[in-house]
Amino acid sequence: MPGFDFSNYNRNAALHAKGVPLPKATSTGTTIVGCIYDNGVVIAADTRATSGPIVADKNCEKLHYIAPKIWCAGAGTAADTEFTTALISSNVELHSLSTGRDPRVITCMTMLKQHLFRYQGHIGAYLVVAGVDPTGVGLYTVHAHGSTDKLPYVTMGSGSLAAMSVFESMWQPDLDKEGAIKLCAEAIKAGIFNDLGSGSNVDVCVIEKDKPTQMLRNYEKPNERGQKERNYRFPRGTTAWLNQKIISKDDMKKFVTIQTLSGDDNLAAGEKMEVDA
Amino acid sequence: MDKLVAQYSRPQHQNDFYSEAEQQELTEGMPPLSLKFALPPVDNRAAFLRAMTDDHANPSCPIKIAHGTTTLAFRFQGGIIVCTDSRATAGNWIASQTVKKVIPVSRLSRGEDKPSNEPTPGLLGTMAGGAADCQYWLRYLSQQCTLHEIRHKRRITVAAASKILANLTYSYKGYGLSMGTMLAGVTPQEGPALYYIDSDGTRLPGNMFCVGSGQTFAYGVLDANYKYDLTEQEALDLGRRAILAAMHRDAYSGGFINCYHVKEEGWVHHGFDDMNPIFWKTKLDRGEFSNVTSEL
Amino acid sequence: MTSLLDHSRGETVGYSFSQSTAAPVRQHGFYPYTDNGGSTLGITGSDFAILAGDTRSTSGYNINSRMVPKVFKIGGEDETGEGAHIILSVVGFAADGNALKERLDAVVKMYKYQHGKSMSVSACAQRLSTILYGKRFFPYYVHAILAGLDEEGKGALYSYDPVGSYEREQCRAAGAAASLIMPFLDNQVNFKNQYIPGSGEGHALEQKKAEPLPQETVKQLVRDAFTSAVERHIEVGDHLQVMIITSNGIEEVFHPLKKD
Repeated sequence: MPGFDFSNYNRNAALHAKGVPLPKATSTGTTIVGCIYDNGVVIAADTRATSGPIVADKNCEKLHYIAPKIWCAGAGTAADTEFTTALISSNVELHSLSTGRDPRVITCMTMLKQHLFRYQGHIGAYLVVAGVDPTGVGLYTVHAHGSTDKLPYVTMGSGSLAAMSVFESMWQPDLDKEGAIKLCAEAIKAGIFNDLGSGSNVDVCVIEKDKPTQMLRNYEKPNERGQKERNYRFPRGTTAWLNQKIISKDDMKKFVTIQTLSGDDNLAAGEKMEVDA
Repeated sequence: MDKLVAQYSRPQHQNDFYSEAEQQELTEGMPPLSLKFALPPVDNRAAFLRAMTDDHANPSCPIKIAHGTTTLAFRFQGGIIVCTDSRATAGNWIASQTVKKVIPVSRLSRGEDKPSNEPTPGLLGTMAGGAADCQYWLRYLSQQCTLHEIRHKRRITVAAASKILANLTYSYKGYGLSMGTMLAGVTPQEGPALYYIDSDGTRLPGNMFCVGSGQTFAYGVLDANYKYDLTEQEALDLGRRAILAAMHRDAYSGGFINCYHVKEEGWVHHGFDDMNPIFWKTKLDRGEFSNVTSEL
Repeated sequence: MTSLLDHSRGETVGYSFSQSTAAPVRQHGFYPYTDNGGSTLGITGSDFAILAGDTRSTSGYNINSRMVPKVFKIGGEDETGEGAHIILSVVGFAADGNALKERLDAVVKMYKYQHGKSMSVSACAQRLSTILYGKRFFPYYVHAILAGLDEEGKGALYSYDPVGSYEREQCRAAGAAASLIMPFLDNQVNFKNQYIPGSGEGHALEQKKAEPLPQETVKQLVRDAFTSAVERHIEVGDHLQVMIITSNGIEEVFHPLKKD
């Protein structure tokens, strides 16, 4: 059966009744904003993900793809924003295939709000939906309970007040693309510096009429880590061990197929890990 | 005739009993109950304190007070052995691994462990429960013991000292103190004496006590191997082994093994040793803890 | 309906546990504490002691101020703290911390005026414990660290729990990021879990012995501890306040930290 699996609900309610705390979900404390301009729309987000007071991810991505010209910024429970946008993205694609037309922002927003309303706020996704479609430029907010807003500039997340203060003092009706990007980045930075739930870098996404969408990942990096003063590399043999067992490549071949890659760093996927010199 | 006279004449140390004036002085020397301590402006103070500080009743309480664990003491032919672990926990957090849970009482000779093997006169107290409660009230007790010594030109008995502490904890009953203390000492009047006092107001004389969350593990080892005729070395080893067992099985005990021997001339410190090498030595040399493997 | 369970509470399903979704959490209308976040750290050496703390004050997700020092000089002549020989750091509830600092400062000054000599660090440490315990039933919501030089001129550091249990230590981290900094200190100051490579096979491998570190190393460790804590704890940041106490007096320096 599609949808959520509630088979552990009673067990978890029982455990909770006995005082076992609920597992902590990674929440994206977050500042997200959006702003329309003469020829398109800009959305932006910070890149901090937190778990309680601990920073879980210093450079996460909060701008989600829905369709080539519809993007979504997410605040709230990280997993919920991730999966809700992915689900709606799929449905929008199917919808556009079956109608043979480009998807509309309002369609996407409606699908999101209906999905979220059905789950009565238990899906903790707070979203800014933005895009360009044949009807023009669209910018909406969607709350976890299903309510929506349509405004020329919007903010959401724990840093929404800080960000909104920037919009309220600096927004003008006749912004151009550069002005909109600057303003959104400025609003995000207000969140980054004044809201503890937001931090690290600024991600920006620009969606413009008749032009490919620009995803400006780490558009600004105002919080680079300073150099460590000491070297924390341990001499080999520092760690005590009780016993050792060497698993050779031949041993592993019994269970898996092994393909040797060249030593080229570019082959390794993903971001490089921070390692002391 | 001489026998009769001896029976009815007063004993030489007739000052053993407190005069009425002395009794009054003793009771009034205690700190007044509610005047000395700042109290929260609420009706149910104990509930307030529990809500703020009791991490057992309320795991998300804002103030986590350091707690102590696993302590033991037992009497044997050569005096009294006192052993403790050294871990302090505040909720799930290990606040310290180097706590001194044996606190010298009386003659104001606390803490400073002299490197010499000369016995130091006085009693020993142990710390389990709230670390601050034990530290503060054992210090208060040594103050009272010193005053007793000055007033009576004679060292206080363990019975009397334990009674001061028990009276104190009883008077604070319900306020939320948390302590499980053992007092050990050797006096001319009593010989080796051991008392258990806790924050409920309990006061028990006895030959062997284990106190704290690891007490059951320590009792297991102690009951299996205890004899009154243990030599000094055997007794020290047994004390250490019982603490080691508790440290091994109880998550709230660990760190270092602290060992003391109380004899007639006073107490002697027998080391504050990291449990880890001792554990491996016990396992490898004596073949104990064979359930712990070093195989992968 | 026949049931083996007592349904006196009128619950719909026959669970043996209470159907309420949460454990009976103790609620109290009187809540006089706020956690103002931040972190402090102290390390001693053979002839110095260092206390450091960030200067951010928070409540919830908000920053109250970016410049609220947590380390204070105790028993100095005036507001500048000139002539002080003891330093105190407090973290937790800032109002309680301030009240505690003021009280200890007054006590140390009174001691000097009454006895004509300045209070020793060990005496001050014991006094602070008594002050904290005085509020055993309405505690100061603080983790205090006291530092100075002992009678032999060696660095002395005392750490406290909120109700006054205390201990002299080589190093201690307190506050919001204590759980991030303390393991680092255990490893880098007391060399916990570090062994001397090649000193033996298996159980004969020797543990690396802890010994007092030079002042420059300690300063670097303090700064690295804080720049790292800032990376991973949202309540730590803005500025780092470092006080170093030596026989020449107290030196105070500020370093910038990240402000996000």
